[in-house]
Amino acid sequence: MAARPKPASDEAREALRAAMERLAAGDQSALEEIYRMTRVKLFGITLRILGDRKEAEDALQDVYINLWQRADRYDPARASPISWLSTFARNRAIDRLRTGKVRGGAVGIEEAAPLPDESPLADALLVDAEQAAQIHKCIATLDERTQTHIRAAFFDGYTYAQLAEQADVPLGTMKSWIRRGLQRLRACLEASEKA
Amino acid sequence: MSTPEDTPGEDVKRDDPTLAAEWALGLLEGEELLAARGKYATDPAFAWRKEWWDNWFAPWTDGMAGAAEPGEHVWQGIAARLNPQPSAAALAGPDRGGEVVELRARLRRWQWVAGLSSVAAAVALAVMVFAPGTAPQDTPPQIAATAPMVATVPIGETGLRLDVTYIPESERMLVAAIGLAPDGVHDHELWLLPEDGSAAKSLGVVAPGEVRSMELPADITAELRDGSRLVLTREPLGGKPEGVEAGPVVAEGAFTRV
Repeated sequence: MAARPKPASDEAREALRAAMERLAAGDQSALEEIYRMTRVKLFGITLRILGDRKEAEDALQDVYINLWQRADRYDPARASPISWLSTFARNRAIDRLRTGKVRGGAVGIEEAAPLPDESPLADALLVDAEQAAQIHKCIATLDERTQTHIRAAFFDGYTYAQLAEQADVPLGTMKSWIRRGLQRLRACLEASEKA
Repeated sequence: MSTPEDTPGEDVKRDDPTLAAEWALGLLEGEELLAARGKYATDPAFAWRKEWWDNWFAPWTDGMAGAAEPGEHVWQGIAARLNPQPSAAALAGPDRGGEVVELRARLRRWQWVAGLSSVAAAVALAVMVFAPGTAPQDTPPQIAATAPMVATVPIGETGLRLDVTYIPESERMLVAAIGLAPDGVHDHELWLLPEDGSAAKSLGVVAPGEVRSMELPADITAELRDGSRLVLTREPLGGKPEGVEAGPVVAEGAFTRV
């Protein structure tokens, strides 16, 4: 792929939106375009969750093949393309983790191949900034310990059992902490939607 | 904040929105994960809430930002999966070009409907194209007679589900239980519900996370047709014991001819 100037964030988002539309219309060439634009971001997600380069690459492949087979599942009214794709990639990685073949956890630096200079729009494709600010604001209202556990579940794909073991508390305690935290989080997010 | 989240001595009730959040975070496994997936397929409010959480959590993925580039072979693998047909077309020869086009279209729709693995797709394509005794001129009725049937149990969001494919000519069935995780306590057993209302026929215990091919006895293939209903029940390890009622139904689906 030839180097090219990195478009501004809005242009990148627009290009991705257009490619997703073409994909939904059955244009196979749109998939390659989407791949070029999103692979680094989505690979970052699958690698973080799975903690293994080979598994993360398999998961990534799975994501794009599924995307092609079921492009109709994306609903532009509900989420931006990058938000939806990121969620999709993370969910597929978690699915893979739960089938029990993968160790999961953090990735060693040595496993991460360096990025080429021509960074494939990774920076330009951030999920909506306003939404990001709101979830950060709401999670910050929880006590620090609960925040940490909820984040660990999201970022490292830990189950309740793993979180309880790491914190050295009974499973029921961990569930109570997180559930109460999630209920508060929901109230805060819902309040922000009404505002 | 008013009270800490860890007020002791109080069990926090798990309502549906909380279950949806737990699932969105990825906290669920085994039986609970399966239950959430089933609920997603049947309960629009729950499905809406799951996506609501997904959407709110999505900005966090920015914090997993890519520090690495996937290998070149990743795209090559994707491209190969998108265009697997050249060899089939070449082998089929010019006379059967129309059939191959038709098969491709059928296969494409089939994959689209069921989200099947390439393994299942490749098997079916091979069966349909290379079935012994299939003379070119007989092809159209032959295709109709051997069209695969698929069932998805339940229809999930991410492909985590049971895909059942029956290929009539081979009398084989492929069961792909991708993403089902063993919980160490239960197995899940697949059943065919005969149209005449007689007792359900077991299709066997599902192997979590695997694509499994099984040969079906004649008394079962005789019952299989478009619209045949399948249910998945939760059983003790090893499947339903003799002389005991089957466990609760956790998912269901029906065969569709494609």
